Parts: sequence; structure tokens; C-alpha cells
Amino acid sequence: MTDAATLLDPDHAEPASVTTTRSRRARRGGAWAWVAWLLRRLGLAVLTLWLVSVLVFIATTALGDPVRAILGKDFNADKARAAQLTAQLNLDESLPQRYLHWLGGLFSGDLGTSIANQRPVSELIGPNVVNTLVLVLLSAIIMVPVAFGIAMISANYRRRKPDTFIQTVLLALAGLPEFVIGILLVAIFATTLSHVLPAVTIATPGGHPWDDPKTMVLPIATLVLAVSPYVSRIVRATLLEVLDSDYVELARLKGIPERVVMRKHALLNAIVPGIQVVALQLAWLAGGVVIVEAVFNYPGIGFQLVDSVRNHDVPMVQALAMIIAAVYVVVNLVADLLSILLTPRARTAISS
Amino acid sequence: MNALPPDRPAGLDDVSLSRRQLLRYSSLAAAAVGGSGLLAACGGGGGESGPQQKGGVLVHGATGGSAKDTLDPHRPVQNADIARASNLYEPLLFWDSDYRIAPAVAESVTPESDAKTWTIKLRQGVTFHNGKDVTPEDVLFTIRRVANPKAPTSAGGTLSQILDFDQTKKVDDTTIKVVLKQPYAILDYLLAEYTLGVIPEDFDLKNPVGTGAFKYKSFAPGKNSVFTRYDGYWGDQAFVDELHIQDFADPSAQVNALLAGQVQTIDNLPYNLIDSVKSQGSKVLVSNTGAWVPFTMRVDVKPFSDNRVRQAMRLIVDRQQMIDQALSGYGSLGNDLYAPFDPAYAKDLPQRQQDIDQAKSLLKSAGQDGLTVQLFTGDDIGSVAPATASLFVEQAKKAGVTVKKIVKTPFYGDDYLSYPFAQDFWNTRNYIPQAAVCAVKGATYNETHFDNSKFAGLLQSASAETDETKRNTLLQDAQKIEYDEGGFIIWGFRRQVDGYSSKVQGLKPSRYLPLGSYKFQNVSLTG
Repeated sequence: MTDAATLLDPDHAEPASVTTTRSRRARRGGAWAWVAWLLRRLGLAVLTLWLVSVLVFIATTALGDPVRAILGKDFNADKARAAQLTAQLNLDESLPQRYLHWLGGLFSGDLGTSIANQRPVSELIGPNVVNTLVLVLLSAIIMVPVAFGIAMISANYRRRKPDTFIQTVLLALAGLPEFVIGILLVAIFATTLSHVLPAVTIATPGGHPWDDPKTMVLPIATLVLAVSPYVSRIVRATLLEVLDSDYVELARLKGIPERVVMRKHALLNAIVPGIQVVALQLAWLAGGVVIVEAVFNYPGIGFQLVDSVRNHDVPMVQALAMIIAAVYVVVNLVADLLSILLTPRARTAISS
Repeated sequence: MNALPPDRPAGLDDVSLSRRQLLRYSSLAAAAVGGSGLLAACGGGGGESGPQQKGGVLVHGATGGSAKDTLDPHRPVQNADIARASNLYEPLLFWDSDYRIAPAVAESVTPESDAKTWTIKLRQGVTFHNGKDVTPEDVLFTIRRVANPKAPTSAGGTLSQILDFDQTKKVDDTTIKVVLKQPYAILDYLLAEYTLGVIPEDFDLKNPVGTGAFKYKSFAPGKNSVFTRYDGYWGDQAFVDELHIQDFADPSAQVNALLAGQVQTIDNLPYNLIDSVKSQGSKVLVSNTGAWVPFTMRVDVKPFSDNRVRQAMRLIVDRQQMIDQALSGYGSLGNDLYAPFDPAYAKDLPQRQQDIDQAKSLLKSAGQDGLTVQLFTGDDIGSVAPATASLFVEQAKKAGVTVKKIVKTPFYGDDYLSYPFAQDFWNTRNYIPQAAVCAVKGATYNETHFDNSKFAGLLQSASAETDETKRNTLLQDAQKIEYDEGGFIIWGFRRQVDGYSSKVQGLKPSRYLPLGSYKFQNVSLTG
């Protein structure tokens, strides 16, 4: 989905009219071109999600007989429950029938009923989706300025001591798995060394983890520490490239102060690859924070997905997989849109 | 994002939220005070005696917990469910901390001499959380729900087969006559299980009431549940004002929560974390249990159909090594017999020990020199099983037996109960109920395919014998048969280890369930 790079390429832009008449038609045609572009991208997104739904469905049915997996030791002892599960999962229908059944449910917002506790899937997933989104968004809000700031400092001191120091620390952090960071933070701030912060999330029923803001500190810090190094290193590399370019050189020759050069000329041009990395990392966070969620007992969707797989709760697994896929698609779509808006060349390529 | 349940007014949540926040802040304050108390206790040498005080919020960190969680009194699945059920509901009788029968909602449960007719005498003044008295109708409703012949719960299997539903009825306001289709002298065992909590006729799972020391306030599966002290409790009232049960899918998060003072008790502390919990100011509660992870040999297929081979395998096992390595030493020796807490347990039979020479000679006389067997195991049996399977492979080498360990995923699949040589897990039970599910023909989980008519006869006579001394003699004869010819290798019984904060008072080990059988009404907090 990350085809901002190809969009920058003029060959891939709409072949409509890259000729002389373009200035006149640009205003009206431009709006239409944008709508067309958006519709095309939305269509592609839907197509992607449909393909994902087929994959998810095949994968979950290929796991083997779910009834046997759910009942385990009691499979032969509890015939009534086996029959009830078979009926609930529509296992007596053919595969395509079951798929259509499920897809129809997805469109009408009916995600089915959890096998584990017989409640509607949407009711079970809802709060956890919100919890994860809040965790990821808060982490992003902190991570983006931190990562860009570090990259700017680092680029500013290119190959001098502060830069070397920052790069070493970032590399070390990038090498640490996020659960190690989490466990270290817990040991330092919650258990072994000091007791200033809570170690885990204890949310009251119906409440949210952020009811007690202190419990959010360590999970967010862990995610920021886990993700920032990647973003920071990519932004630094792009910044260095831009700082070496001719127009930055020209700006400097014109006597523009280095601070302004950095902010206006370099950063704005380095921001697009940054957006793409941030988007990739955010999408990863949405589904991949399960280990962090386990360390902090944070009630999010990664956690729920693992639990559901363990319970062989097929409707839950399907719904959660679709939600995570949807987050991926949406985040990438937004990132592409932002990239294009921030790249004059790509912007004009579409509207002309 | 999701609609409120239709039966709950929308405004209620806001009100309770703010109240909850208040409570949380007060518990934070309590935790802070408790923390300083801990320091003082450490300085003073740490004596924790003194009168127990009322008040405070106890947060219990439960092992496991998932979307599977339920408040159904008769279908608890995992530890968190059992902890909830044990505080919300009470059965007619209790298993006490020594694994003996004690009165609870019923004052007494007594058999006629034929063991077919039983009289349940209800305790007076026992009320449900809604204030209603417990009546014989409620008890009959409970029994019928558990033992529903069409869909018996896990605890109701035996009951549904032996109960005569038509003849069982109320006698007067505090008495019930239970009639069985066949003699069963240990009906009281069944009625004491935590899965038989007494509930009212109009029971509603959305707003559950029982007779326990805590009443329901809120519940979110896989997350957290809240209970408050029931002031109308028939026994000694609980000390703490509120009980929170927080689910933990990850054991290290659970331990961290204990060390950070966010929870005060945790059950099923992993053995490898015991030392770090102790060294950081928290305490551990060690209890004996009757839980076992046996090796199972099918007595009806070669080579195990030859009893000499079975005996040789039993002599190959180094039991102490299994306890030391697979249980980190937290276990007691097994003698190939289950139900160690049963009054009838045959403790006079000599303790079987590793005897490689005799094992070799038994194998030789059976013509099985240099035997090769497959041992089926799986991670879904529990972590102890694969560990002991590997140990057995090593120990068997000494006797010239080659054991090939085969890990099945899932172990509890199609082949379960047909593996010639495998493992399984069982929790604490007394002898008759345990044998009924694993050692007679047609039993639900007869892994060893044990089918001995003399054994079955003894078991049947014992089930009908109301005189305990006579019954125990019969059961000891039955155990002798299993000791001599059975298909189980029972190398040991696991000890239960739980963790608790040093500001918790009143916890005592129990043989029945973790954390003093989860009876949080006995727990108080200092500071």
C-alpha cells in the first residue's frame, strides 16, 4: 500500500493531459482528479480488505476442527456442547456458504457471537479496540516530535560526538526487544529499584486504563522507546541527504541562518519519508503490541487476539484480524494522502 | 461504541464510575500507608500477629482469565472463575483446609444405612445477597441445574446418573430428602464441591446472588470483577470492604503487580519466581495438594499388558528427581496411588523406589530385554508433563529401556485415551470419585483401560457402605490391587505455591484450593 514513491514518479501519474492547456483546466479538473484519485485509492483499500477477509477465513478454517480444539479433554464426554458449538459455528454448512454468511455479517456490523462466553463479539472487542487506539495514538503523539527532534539534533552535529553518541544509543535501543525494555522499566520504576509508578494496568470493569493516568506512563514509554529509534534513524538519513543537496547549499549561500535552513528547507523535504516510516510503525503497533500488552497487563486487542487464538474462539479471531487489517489499510491511506499533499511535485501531478 | 445492556439504565455507569474512582484513590492511599508499614515491619523483625482489622480493598491477581471467564456458579473454567465462585456462592458443605467435610449452607447431610436415602438439614438464618432466606426449593433448583440429565455440568456428571429426581423432595422448611437410584455413601463429597454453590430459584446470571461472604458488584470477562462485603452473611463477616479480582494472562505481570503493591494476593506463583518474590518483601504460601501428573500405561496392549513390564516401569522412575527438577522441590512423594488425603489412603503400603536391578530382571523375565516404547506427551497437559517425560527418558536408559518422547499437538485430540503410554493431569479428589472417572470400565477418562472385576466390585461395595471404617478397609483392598497391577505411575503430588503481600493477614494453607481455598473473607489488611 505504500506507493507514495511511485506516485512521485511522473510516469505513474494520471496520463490525462500533461500538456500546455493544463493551467486553464487545472482548477476545475483538479478537484475532479482528486476525487478520482481518492475513489481509486478507496476502491483499492476495499479490494485489499476483501482479499484479507478471504485469507483470514481460509486461515481460521484451516486450523482444524474448532469444536475438538475448544473442548479438548471433554470432547467425547460432552456431546451436547459439541453439537451446540457445531451449530453456532455453522459447521454443517459448506465452506463458501459459511464464508458468505460471515461476510454478510461483517457488512451488516454483526461480528457474530464469541464462543468463549457467548456474548456479541462487537461488545467484547469494542473497549479493547478503544484502549489500543488510545495507547497507540498517545505513543505516536509523543514519539513523532521526539524522533524528529533527535534526528534534527543528530543531523545538525553530523559525525561529531553528539551524533555518534545518539546513534549508538539508538542502535542499542533498536536492538532491544520491546518486552525487554518494558521489563527493565518495570524493574526500575515499579518493583525492584523504586515504587514511583504502577507496574501493570488494573482497570475497573467499564473503566479505562487511563482513568489512572499513571498506569499509562510505562506502556507508552516502552512503545516510544521501541519505535523512535527506527523513525529517528530514517529521518536523520533523509535530512543528511537533503542537507547535501544543491538548493540547501544555495539557501546557505544566500545567507539564510542555519536554523531556518534546517527547519524550512531540510525538514519539510525530509518529512515525507518520515511519514511513511511513522505510518508503518503505527500500523505495526496496532496489532503488534501484544508483548507490551502482556508485560503491562494492558487490555488491548493484541492481548485479546492471543487469548482468542488460545480459546479457539474463531469469530473473535476473525473479527480482530479484520480490524487490524483495516487499521493497516487506513493508516497507510492517510500516510499516502499526507505524503502527496506535502510533495508539490506529486500534488500537481494529480491535479493536472 | 457498544450499546449498554437493555436492563441497565444509562446514567448508572457515570455514577458508579466516579464512585469507583473515589475507591481507587482511597486504595492508592491505603497502598501508600501499607508500603510504609512494610518498611516498619522489616525494621522491627516482621511480626505479623495482632488482631485483624476491618476495612480496605483487597485486590487479588488471578492466574489466567480470558474471554472465557464466567460467573456461572456451576461452570467455572479457570482459576479466576473458581476464585469468584468461591466468594460469591457456597455449596451445602465445605471441603475444609484439611480436605475434610465441614458444614456450610447445610447443617448436616446424613445417609440412611442403605446409602440410598439422604437427609439434608439446612442451616437457619442463611440468606442470599438479595435478603431472601435459603429454602429447600432453592436447594432443589440448584441440584437440578447442576445435575440436569440432559446437560449436566462438569460437577453434575455423577449426580445426574444416581439421583432419583422424582423422589427427591422437600420435607419441611429446613429439610430435604434426597433419594438415589443406587447406594452412594459419599454423596456428601459431591455436595461439598465449589461447583455446587446454592443459588435461588430466580437466579439471574446478569445479577448473580449467592450466600457467600461477598456480593456481586461488577464483572468484565478477562479483565476484572468487583465484590463487596455482604453484611447479612451467616458466618463471620469478611474483613475487607471490597474484593477485586484482576485477571492476569501473563505470570510475570502478575508477580510485578504484587511487587509493586497493586495486588495483595496472587495464586499459582510459578516455581521459578518464588525466590525473587521472597527477596523483594512479599510472602509465599505453600500448601500440600493431591494434584498429580501421572504416566499412564494401557493395561490392554503390549508390552504393558504384561504386569511385569508395568511394574518394571514403576521401578525405573526416580520419584525424588522428578519432584526436585520438575516441581523445583515443591512436591511430595507418590506411591502409584492417588487421593492422598482420603481417610482410606493406603499409607501402609511400602513406598516404591527406583530399583534398576529389579526392573531389569522383571523385564528379562517378561522377555522384554532392551524394550523400546513411545511416550506421548503434550504442552496442553501442563508444563510439568513434558519436563517429567524428558526425565523419564533419561531414567529409563539406566534399565536399558529406550523411550521415545512424542509431543502431540494437541495432546487432547483424537488419540487421547488410546495412547499406549502417555501422561495426563488430575486435581485433588478423594478415592471413590477419582476411581469412578479413571479406573473402571466405561469411566470417562480411563487412560489405562484398567478393567479389573475384583477392583470394580470392591469399589462398588465401598460406594454403598456408610460405615466409614468398613468402607476404608474395602478401599484399601482396592488400592492394593492398583498398587500391584495398575497402569498409573504416580511419582508425586504437587505443592501449591501462592504469593501475598506482607500487609495481608489471615491466610492459611489449604489442601483444597489455592490461597486458603480462596476464602478471602478470612483475609484482612494492615495499615
